[in-house]
Amino acid sequence: MGAGFVVGVLGCLILSHAAYSTVQYRGMLKIVEEEFNGPPISVVIELLLGLALSVWAGLSAPGKFLSILPDSDENRMVSLPANLDFLTFNHRARAFPCDPELKLKR
Amino acid sequence: MAVREDLGVSEMKSGGDDELSMFNKENLQSNMKVIYYSRTFLSIIGGVIAGIWGFTGLTGFIFYVLIMGITSLGLAAKAKFSAQTYFDNWNRILLDGFFGGLMSFVLFWTFAYDIVHIF
Repeated sequence: MGAGFVVGVLGCLILSHAAYSTVQYRGMLKIVEEEFNGPPISVVIELLLGLALSVWAGLSAPGKFLSILPDSDENRMVSLPANLDFLTFNHRARAFPCDPELKLKR
Repeated sequence: MAVREDLGVSEMKSGGDDELSMFNKENLQSNMKVIYYSRTFLSIIGGVIAGIWGFTGLTGFIFYVLIMGITSLGLAAKAKFSAQTYFDNWNRILLDGFFGGLMSFVLFWTFAYDIVHIF
């Protein structure tokens, strides 16, 4: 959360500076009475930099993906006791077709 | 009687080993939320950039498609290119939130264009 958020704020600042530069450039064009054909190269570079930082922030700030597979390591709620020999299970999970050996990883 | 037999068969089929797929619903919803946030934020940023750059007409929409392509690529890279681990479907990464983001894109595109180029 922290690093991505800071990068996003930085990207927004760069974008606002690019906007300000473009406004000034338009004012300058108005004085010398020329047409606007795209922003100057420095603004384009700033925009691309801001875009890159924002893409990074937008992908990293919202959080990580969590695995949805039922037998992945991240989704195990409990770790079974070390001595498995005397445990017996008889519950509704046996209706599911998953391999029971997958759950017995220590 | 025939109807009953049919029901039995369909139950057998749906309860078969290969048909049933299980996944963690809470984690799927959390992943969907992450994708939704990423897409909304990047459509807003893309709209601001298109406005500052001074795109008009079709160019802006092509830019939006480009931004969404970059976003999809980034999300796929974030999911380590194995969508089956995090989502039930590839379309969740590639397409979800495309048209919802388009609205924010157009809003911020016109907003930034007005501020920078018109006022």
